[in-house]
Amino acid sequence: MPIKALAPQVVARIAAGEVVERPASVVKELVENSLDAGATQISVEVGGGGVSLIKVTDNGAGIPSEEVELAFERYATSKIGDLDDLESISSLGFRGEALSSITAVAQVDMTTCADGEKVATHLGLEDGAIASRSTKGRSQGTTVTVLNLFRKIPARLKFLKSIATENSHIANVVSQYALAFPEVKFSLSLDGRVALRTPGSGKLLDSVAEVYGAEIAGNMIELKGEATIPRVTGMVGLPRVSRSGWGYLSFFINRRWVNSRMLARAVEEAYHGLLMVGRHPVAVIDILLPAQDVDVNIHPTKSEVKFANERAVFSAVYRTVRQALAGQTPVPHVEAANKPVFSSVVRESASPTYVGAGADLSFPPLTSAAALPVLRVLGQLDNSYIIAEGPDGLYLIDQHAAHERVLFERIERQRAQREIEVQGLLEPMPLEVSPRQEAELWSHYQELAEFGFAIEPFGGKTFLVRAVPAIVHDRDWAGMLRELLDSLSEGDKSNWAETVIITMACHSAVRAGQALTDSEMRELVRQLEQAATPHTCPHGRPTMIHLSYGQLKKDFGRT
Amino acid sequence: MKLSCLQENLDRGLNVVGRAVAVRTTLPITNNVLLATDKSRLKLSATNLEMAISCWIGAKVEEEGAITVPARLLSEFISSLPSEKVDINLSPQTKTLGLKCARFEARISGVDAKDFPPIPRVEGGIATKVEVEALRQAIGQVAFAAATEESRPVLTGVDAEFDGDTLTLAAADGFRLAVYKLPLAQAVSQKTEVIIPARTLAELNRLMADQEEAVEITVNPEKGQALFRLKDIELVSQLIQGSFPNYSQLIPKKFNTKAVISVADFLRATKTASIFARDGSGIVRLVVAPGGEMTPGKVTVSARSEEIGDDVGDIDAMVEGEEAKIAFNGKYLTDVLSVLHEAQVALETTNPSSPGVLKPVGSDNYIHVVMPMFVQW
Repeated sequence: MPIKALAPQVVARIAAGEVVERPASVVKELVENSLDAGATQISVEVGGGGVSLIKVTDNGAGIPSEEVELAFERYATSKIGDLDDLESISSLGFRGEALSSITAVAQVDMTTCADGEKVATHLGLEDGAIASRSTKGRSQGTTVTVLNLFRKIPARLKFLKSIATENSHIANVVSQYALAFPEVKFSLSLDGRVALRTPGSGKLLDSVAEVYGAEIAGNMIELKGEATIPRVTGMVGLPRVSRSGWGYLSFFINRRWVNSRMLARAVEEAYHGLLMVGRHPVAVIDILLPAQDVDVNIHPTKSEVKFANERAVFSAVYRTVRQALAGQTPVPHVEAANKPVFSSVVRESASPTYVGAGADLSFPPLTSAAALPVLRVLGQLDNSYIIAEGPDGLYLIDQHAAHERVLFERIERQRAQREIEVQGLLEPMPLEVSPRQEAELWSHYQELAEFGFAIEPFGGKTFLVRAVPAIVHDRDWAGMLRELLDSLSEGDKSNWAETVIITMACHSAVRAGQALTDSEMRELVRQLEQAATPHTCPHGRPTMIHLSYGQLKKDFGRT
Repeated sequence: MKLSCLQENLDRGLNVVGRAVAVRTTLPITNNVLLATDKSRLKLSATNLEMAISCWIGAKVEEEGAITVPARLLSEFISSLPSEKVDINLSPQTKTLGLKCARFEARISGVDAKDFPPIPRVEGGIATKVEVEALRQAIGQVAFAAATEESRPVLTGVDAEFDGDTLTLAAADGFRLAVYKLPLAQAVSQKTEVIIPARTLAELNRLMADQEEAVEITVNPEKGQALFRLKDIELVSQLIQGSFPNYSQLIPKKFNTKAVISVADFLRATKTASIFARDGSGIVRLVVAPGGEMTPGKVTVSARSEEIGDDVGDIDAMVEGEEAKIAFNGKYLTDVLSVLHEAQVALETTNPSSPGVLKPVGSDNYIHVVMPMFVQW
């Protein structure tokens, strides 16, 4: 076939493929347009997973009658004017591709009425061409109706998932913008059913309550990013409302919804040690950046961004979240049978910080608010939990988790002071390892000396152990060493030192099922009281549960 | 089965075999005690499959028979009875054991004796005798050094080597080693080495507390079980299979410093220091300083804790050789010092990272080796 220029329809459809991946992309583009038009009410109606109907109605600025046709031209937009504007984009859209792309793959109707116009303009498009034009009556704003999406592209249609899946993608898009714009009233109906309705009160907590429900909203704390650059605002969930997936992390750059692994990592880091393995936090975070410090023009859908100074953004997010959490780390409360109406947990966060480029990632201390009251040991439950009385009620302490926390901090401190206690072996013990463990041991056996393991190669897959950390000497340290090597070879190498300490603490801590004497329990509780982060074990599990007198009274019907 | 015996004899017998009753088990019948007539005596047996204890008590047997009943129930009932005659009567159809004593009468449902795990017979192999006092002291000074952690099963046992007329007991947990030699009252024909679970020996020590006659020890030819026969009591133990480390090479042959100290003073100083070492891993530091022309040598025992504080204690010592510094887990020192019967002990060291040796002064049959902890001085 000879080379030739493609027909405009073909070009349009190829380009549309980038912008319009699935029905949710259409919703995203239309909602962004509405937001850019300054709408305060946006309603989205969806039918058949967005394939048969997407209708977005807003009360925004509208398009003047004479410009309506132009809006559907490719690279036509009112949002930017020249190249300089591209350097400092403040609107969500700017490429001028959305409407033309959508018309390339669907049948589109638009009714729009700009300020000062008496009647609205109605335009019908099919196959990218204007099919009808008329006038209609409506108040200021725009309604875009997208029908029969992808009907002309069977391949794309086939690629779509079930209606339920597409609906959930759409719901996610609308939810994200509802979180980003709490002052805008959003409503979403899926096949006639109301899926979301935000009050548009301007309060983020109200939007969170609508999107994620009252339980999460009741456990959110506000981030008060001080006037720094970048400025980080939003809300994060307390560790007790963690989720098993990443789906509860929302990031906005200058209120633009973005996906960023880097930002997700910053938040996860901030929760480090507070969440169980495999649990992820809930967070709604908006990052304010000067427009020139961020490039959103990487991908037509603009869901990916590039930062001029990635590290500064990372540490700003990390510090802000960590500080908000530092003021909290509360003891999980025993769940009430009848949940009370949720109350917002909004507290002042810690002191302001300027987050510069070279900001270090030292942990803000998690102390003041985290300190434990003095506890009186009452007894042991199921040889696993210590029951203790505090000034404000009953505490149930998980003996293993609590001891792990105590040992973790002790090992960390000893290592920092280079005072790890080492017990020599009477006879060097050969340790045989698997090939994978061997690789790990070869690269780490010298570093393991810092932790008290004196290990040297003995030929082949055999190593000689001459000394072990005193803390594990009367445990199955050979088994522990193998487990450690396995987890080091699988896991993230970046904090292997911590993995070593966690494994050591876990293996030397008292087990569940081990009967403890009164004095042992008192000693453990005393040591826990002195721990810097007493409320969670190094894996992030809670070490204790608190049952307040108030709760007891309520449950016994004494109030 | 129909017999009568004295409450106090039955109570004592049940206490003896009670130590072998299984606590947590997947085989419920091992929670039971076996009662069987044996000529003119009543035989009580219990087993946890690792160890079995049988005890014979005098009885007036009218009718032969056997039954098993829950050990704890029977034991608690019998111990609460007055010190009088107990009539025992088994109803074979219902497998119900009737007990009558003074004005009390009880019935306990039993399980057929045929279902009780057979207690292995230990015959052939080697057979010997040991004086009770010597064996008790040997076990007392050795068994505690065995490992409690089970990743290396041979170390949870005590190595017993029968050679001619000598028995050598040794235990090690990887960090310390205790070796005790004692004479056999009856020489063995053939050198034999077995590993006896430390738990078994601890039980044996309890059973020997009120015994006077020499203990008979039999090991079967397969070295699978050992039998310890006391007066009216038999203890059969499984033996741990595997080979015990060659420990003789672990005992240092020479030293640079030797301090002879009072056991009582050393024990007190170590216990005191251990209080301060409790927050960590129990590091107790020893500094051995030779005396001058006019001054005696001394051993300084100290411990310190970052948060708590520190403690220093001095003990007079007869020191031979150069000054020495060495740190030990305080528990390892108190463990051995509290079982020594002698008044003085010799501590021999070569350097801070080589094992220290403790030998009671005045007897050459016990040696205790402890590996130090490596610390910054």
